[in-house]
Amino acid sequence: MRTTKKIIAASAAIATLVGLAACGDGGGAAKVDTDTANAKGEIVFWGWGNGIKETIEAFEKANPNIKVKYSSTGTAADTATALQNAVAAGKGAPDVIMLEDATVPQFVVDGSVIDLAQFGADKLEDDFAAGPWAKMLQEGKPYALPIDSSPEVFFYNKATFDKAGVDGESIKTWDDYYEAAKKVRALGGDYYITNSIDYQPFLAQAWQAGAQPFKIDGENITINMNDEGLQKYVAFQQKLIDEDLINPKITNWSDDWYRSLGDGTTATLSIGAWMPTDLETGAAAGKGNWRVAQLPQWEEGEEASSEDGGSALAITAQSKNTAAAYKFAEFLTHGDGAKVMAEHGTFPATKKQLEDPDFLSEKSEYFGGQEVNKVLAAAAERKVSKFQYLPYNSFAQSKYGDDVVPAFQGKMTLKDALTKYAKTLASYGSDQGYTVDNQ
Amino acid sequence: MPSQTIPEPPAVSGRTITTSSDASPSTTNNRFATVRVNRHKADWRGWKFMWPFAVVFVFVFIIPIVYAIYISFFKKQMIGGTRFVGLENYSRLLVDQQFWSSVGRVALFTVVQVPIMLCLSAVMALAIDSMKLHGTKFFRISTFLPYAVPAVVSTLIWGFMYGAKYGLVRSFNDLFGTSIDVMAPSVLLVSIGNIVTWEFVGYNMLIFYSSLSTIPHSLYEAASIDGASEWQIVRSIKLPELHGSLAITVIFSIIGSFQLFNEPSIMQSMVPGNAITTYYTPNMYAYNLSFSGNQSNYAAALAIVMAVITMAIAYAVQLRSMREQMK
Repeated sequence: MRTTKKIIAASAAIATLVGLAACGDGGGAAKVDTDTANAKGEIVFWGWGNGIKETIEAFEKANPNIKVKYSSTGTAADTATALQNAVAAGKGAPDVIMLEDATVPQFVVDGSVIDLAQFGADKLEDDFAAGPWAKMLQEGKPYALPIDSSPEVFFYNKATFDKAGVDGESIKTWDDYYEAAKKVRALGGDYYITNSIDYQPFLAQAWQAGAQPFKIDGENITINMNDEGLQKYVAFQQKLIDEDLINPKITNWSDDWYRSLGDGTTATLSIGAWMPTDLETGAAAGKGNWRVAQLPQWEEGEEASSEDGGSALAITAQSKNTAAAYKFAEFLTHGDGAKVMAEHGTFPATKKQLEDPDFLSEKSEYFGGQEVNKVLAAAAERKVSKFQYLPYNSFAQSKYGDDVVPAFQGKMTLKDALTKYAKTLASYGSDQGYTVDNQ
Repeated sequence: MPSQTIPEPPAVSGRTITTSSDASPSTTNNRFATVRVNRHKADWRGWKFMWPFAVVFVFVFIIPIVYAIYISFFKKQMIGGTRFVGLENYSRLLVDQQFWSSVGRVALFTVVQVPIMLCLSAVMALAIDSMKLHGTKFFRISTFLPYAVPAVVSTLIWGFMYGAKYGLVRSFNDLFGTSIDVMAPSVLLVSIGNIVTWEFVGYNMLIFYSSLSTIPHSLYEAASIDGASEWQIVRSIKLPELHGSLAITVIFSIIGSFQLFNEPSIMQSMVPGNAITTYYTPNMYAYNLSFSGNQSNYAAALAIVMAVITMAIAYAVQLRSMREQMK
């Protein structure tokens, strides 16, 4: 029964890959070398995205003593998994790693990445936009340098809005948004103002409402899916669901999603400022129709923002050449490399880049000649409230679909769904050894 | 020991109709065994030839299994590290509703999909074997072709066709004014079953067809001289012959359905909402436990329990079919 053996072997292989955990812990933590002025040698870098190769070329030109070996690790999730495996094995981690902001805490907790304040990274605070910088702090210390800023902004399809008789520029509050949603839905067919959303936008929108679902203090976690901010968010979303104003049949990042953005049947997006390049490539049919604006507010005149996604560079505890590693991380995020990255489509995190007049006055044809960067940069400079991600963010992300999305299909109320979700997250947290208080 | 449950295809089919090629392996084995016994002395020369295989076998099959069993007795926590927990992972699995719901789902899938697929395969094999059709070679190749397409690719193709918004289903709905949605949660399992059937019907047809083609043509001639109708030939000669290969295809299909992973995992991002959960099938659950939940020890326990369940079912099916053969 060769096939039976195959299952066993395959399952065992999966288990083995990650399971090397049993073999080693920590290990390889070399002494941290902070002498960046004399840094030399070779460093290994894992990451993904555009413009990396060009940035490395620029770095090696400026620092001929340092050689960067780059491996493209695909996606944010794959990179985090790869690091997780290397940490479990006790060896094989790169010197510098690109991580999605929300997964950084996970690696701070288990000591896989090191505090960058020892290289003087804390002095860079004023050079970065507030939102991305705040996310890098764990107990007041920077553990990563932000590559991009990703304020939540509001994209809308002007062609659809015109058809529905909505003026996009006049949407200032979520109440305005609700009125617009009804008009868009009145177009009939598949026209909706938005589709049932994903984990990241959920957190970002709850964050903007002032919610703090997760509070982490060392080994103690407090989960509260029913605080004032979330109540506001839940009540609003439930109203949209009840009145059939959210399309429950389209998932973010699916083929259907991109097509509906292209033909305008999904009329708006509340998502991170990194979205323009995705729209241009994924929904090319919508060229000229899309516009970007600030996120609607809960109260008129407020300027609350939040962050959605974004990535950062961290240095691993296994690195044997931390000085060179930091030099590279600083170059890519804060130094001259940041400009190269911005030229290749990264929405920058440094104030210098965000205030660069050439960058701001760029007109986008896809957005009907709008100076998109100006809107995005203004969003990046808005204030954000305190917000923390769970130290097991990837688990939380994978379970969101199981527990919360049924509410968007009307199978249960959003409030019940979030209660269930909180329970799932709490029991996982306790199972992982945290002391969890689920309120 | 999974190797002991290996069905011997030639022996099984050889029992109903004895052909010279089927009978020969077993006689050779017997002769060999007698020679060994008479010698009364251990002879290690054979191992010189065996060791390259044995080393690979130990590393590729034995060690991973032993290792998976080993790590399933541990638990790794973010706070507290790895520690020995004995059978805790197993006892937790026994009361894990998500796990049992996934087992139930694939069991239901197996009970419905496997018979349909095998019936289709058998009908197709009989049709090709009847030699009354034109273009059988083309038909044989084209029904087998889906098996050669990687499951990921065929799922993507089917996924695009299934799309009620932009896919072929949409065009169908527009044309006939219907509102069919094959990706709705209630019918999703059927849609996945359709993909799996499409993928494997040709493969099983080939197994059936090969056992049909071992029937000597003189039997048919004799039957027609005796005045047997085509239907009687099918019933009394062909179907009994198919019975032997049926055991193999059933076992392969059961194992395949219990391993269901590619199709639902690709379709997860194509179907609306959460119709495909992270614990849709046991394999998907193990995958998600390992890679997003960081619970590889628990996933190892799950893998072992699933292997035991699958082997038990396959073994039961085999015993049953052996008993029927004995009659």
